[in-house]
Amino acid sequence: MIAELIEAVAKILFIFGVNMGFFAPILGWVERKQSAVMQDRVGANRADILGFTLIGLLHPLTDTIKILTKEDFIPAGANKLFHTLAPFISLTPALITFAVIPFGGQYEIFGHRINLVIADLDVGILFIFAFASLATYGTVLAGWSSNNNWSFLGGLRAAAQMLSYEVAMGLSIIGIIMVYGSLRLTEIGAMQENFLRWGIFLQPVGFILFLTCAIAENKRVPFDIPEAETEIVAGYFTEYSSMKFIMFWMAEFLEVVTISGIVTTLFLGAWHLPFVSSEKLLSLFGFAGPNLSIVLLMLTNIVTFFAKIIFMIWLQMTIRWTLPRFRYDQIMKLGWKILLPISLINIFITGLVVLLK
Amino acid sequence: MNYELNYTIGSIPLDKLKPKKVRKNIELTLWERLYIPEIIRGMYITTRHFTINMIGFVFPPKGKKRKIFTVYYPEEKLTIPIAYRGRPVLVQREDGKEKCVACGLCERICPALAISIVGGERHRGNDMERYPVAYTLDMSRCVYCGLCEEVCPHEAIVMSDEYIGLAEYDRKNMIYPKEKLLVPVARLKDRIEYVRKIYGKNNYQIPSTNNQIITKSQ
Amino acid sequence: MFYIIGGVAVLSALIMVTNKKPVTAAMNLIVTMLCLAGLYVILDAHLIAALQIIVYAGAIMVLFLFVIMLLNIQEKEGRLSGHKIFLQFAWIMLVGYIFISMVKLIGGGSLPARTEESINGFGTTKAVGEILFTDFLLPFEIASILLLAAMVGAVILAKAKVD
Repeated sequence: MIAELIEAVAKILFIFGVNMGFFAPILGWVERKQSAVMQDRVGANRADILGFTLIGLLHPLTDTIKILTKEDFIPAGANKLFHTLAPFISLTPALITFAVIPFGGQYEIFGHRINLVIADLDVGILFIFAFASLATYGTVLAGWSSNNNWSFLGGLRAAAQMLSYEVAMGLSIIGIIMVYGSLRLTEIGAMQENFLRWGIFLQPVGFILFLTCAIAENKRVPFDIPEAETEIVAGYFTEYSSMKFIMFWMAEFLEVVTISGIVTTLFLGAWHLPFVSSEKLLSLFGFAGPNLSIVLLMLTNIVTFFAKIIFMIWLQMTIRWTLPRFRYDQIMKLGWKILLPISLINIFITGLVVLLK
Repeated sequence: MNYELNYTIGSIPLDKLKPKKVRKNIELTLWERLYIPEIIRGMYITTRHFTINMIGFVFPPKGKKRKIFTVYYPEEKLTIPIAYRGRPVLVQREDGKEKCVACGLCERICPALAISIVGGERHRGNDMERYPVAYTLDMSRCVYCGLCEEVCPHEAIVMSDEYIGLAEYDRKNMIYPKEKLLVPVARLKDRIEYVRKIYGKNNYQIPSTNNQIITKSQ
Repeated sequence: MFYIIGGVAVLSALIMVTNKKPVTAAMNLIVTMLCLAGLYVILDAHLIAALQIIVYAGAIMVLFLFVIMLLNIQEKEGRLSGHKIFLQFAWIMLVGYIFISMVKLIGGGSLPARTEESINGFGTTKAVGEILFTDFLLPFEIASILLLAAMVGAVILAKAKVD
C-alpha cells in the first residue's frame, strides 16, 4: 500500500515537474529562439548573469520576475469572478490531460509492479477529449468577462472554432481506436512495439487530421483567429495582465506538450524504440543484473518517449512559424467541409479493412 | 563626398535588375488545393533555413559572410546614409555664432509646432544682423519630417545623423534650448551639400550632366 | 462522496434556476453537468461519464454560451420578492417530495448493492457497446434515424435562410 502510494506520488510529481518546471518555461524560449533561427535572426540573447547569457536561456527567468512584479489589473465593468476564473479553467485541463498519457510501459522491479501512467483509465482517450473540451470555457469566459469588444470577438471566434474542430478531432482518432481495438492508452502504446505497427503507418490520414484538429483546438497559428494580433489586439486575453496573462500562455504551451504526448502515444509508437524490441534491450542491459536492467529499460523508454515529444514540439513550432493565419470563413470551411468528410471516409475505409481482414 | 546616383541592390546595378515573373493567375491548381504538399514545401524551406542556421550557430563559418543579418545594436551600429533624418540641429558658424537669422519660416512650416523663435538684432562688424535670441525645439513634438531644413533659406537648420540619446524620462528635458541645438558647421558639411543638391538651393549646379534624376527647382 | 457531489449538483442547479444573469446560469448548469459526470464515475460508468462531459459540458453548453453571448441578453431589472422565492421553493419541495414518494412506491426499497459482476467489466466501453448493439439495437437505430432526421431538418432550415 505504501509502495503504491509512493509510486503514485512520484509519478504525479514527475509529470508535474516535467510539465511545469521544464516544458512550460522552456517552450517560451524555444518559440522565440526557433522562430529566430528559422527566419535568419538571432533571437532573445540579452538577459545575463555575470555576463553569461546561456544562449538566451535566462529569458524565461527574467520574464517570470517581470510578470510577477506587474500589476494584476481587472478592467472596469468586468465580471470579476469569471475574469479571475478563466485563466485557471484554461490551465487546469492542459495539466490534467497528461494524467492518462503513459510515459512508459509496465515493469516489475524488486517484486513491485510499476505502471508508468498516473491514471490507467479504461476510457483514457475520451478522458482527454472531455477535459480538452472544457478548456473552451476558459477562452470563452475570458473573452466575455473582460467587457472589451476585442476580447468578446475573440471569445466568440474561439467558441465557434473549438466547437467545430472538436467534432473532426473526435472522429479522426476513431480510426486508430478501431485498428487497436482499445480506448486504453497503455494498451494502444503496448501494441505499437513493432515499428511497422506504429499508428502513423496504419493511419496516415488520421495522423494528419488529428494533428490539424489538435493545433486548431490549441488556437495556434495557422488557426489563431481567437487571438489574431493583427485583427483584434490579443483576442480573448487582451484585458489580462500579470500572472493571469502568463497562465494563458502556459496553458497554450502545456497543450502543445499534451498534443505531442497524445500524438506520440497514438501514432508514433509511444515509448518504443524503432526496430529495437524490449527483449533485445533487456538482453543488452543484461550486465546490470535482473532488477537494474529493468530500471535501465524503464529509463530508456522514458527518454525515448520524451525525445519523441520534443520532436513533435519541434514539428508544431515549425508549423506555427511557417504557415500564415487562415481567415475565419476558411477555418470554418476547412473544419466542416474538408476535415469532417475526410475523417468520416477514413472511418469508413478503416472499418472495411478491419472487417475484411 | 560623392553621392552615387546609380543605386544598387546588393551587387547588381539597378538597370540590370529584372522583375521576377509574377503569377497573374491566382486560381489555385488542384495540387495546390490539396494543402498538404504545399505545406510540406513551405516547411521544407523553413526547415532548411533552420538547419543551415543551426549548423552556423554550432560551427560558425570562417571568412564567409554570416547568414544572419541581425545587427547587435548597442555594440554594432549601422552606417547611416546621408539622406537619413536624425535630430534637427542649428548650424554654428566658424566664429561660434549661429547661422540662423530668425526669419521664422521653420517656425511657420513646422507641422508639429515644435519650433519657437524669439528674434533679435546684434552687431556684426559694421553691420547689423538678425539672430535668434532664443531658439527652442520641443523634441517631444518633433516628427523628423525635415520641412524646416527644406524651407530654411540660410542653411541654418539641418537634420543631423544623431539618433541616440533622444529619449528622456522627463518631458522637461526634451525641450532643447539654442545651446543644445548648435553644432559646428564642419561636422555638417556633407549634409549641407546634400540638402543643396536635393532641394536645388543656392543655385547649386549638378556636377555631372548624365544623371537627370535631380533637377534644379528653378 | 455521493452526498458532496449530489449536494453541489443540486446547489448549482438551484442557482442556475434562480440567477438572473444568463452567463452565470449557464456556468452553473455546466457545474451541474460535471457533478452528474462525477455521479456516473461513482456508479462505475466511466464511459458515460466521459461522454457526459464531452457532449453536454463540452459541446452543448459551449453552444449555449455562444448563443447567449451572441444574443447579448440583458439582465432584467427588478428582483424576486422574498415571498415569491419562498413560494417557489415550497413548490419545488412539494414536487420533489411527491416525486420521491412515487419512486419509493414504484421501486420500493433501496438501490441494489454493488455485486461482483457489476464491478467486473461493468460500464467499460466494451460492455456498453455490446449491450448497445445486442439488447438495445432497435432503440439505438431509432434514435440514430431520429437524429439524422433532425440534422437534415436543421440543414434545410439554415439553408432556407441563406437563400
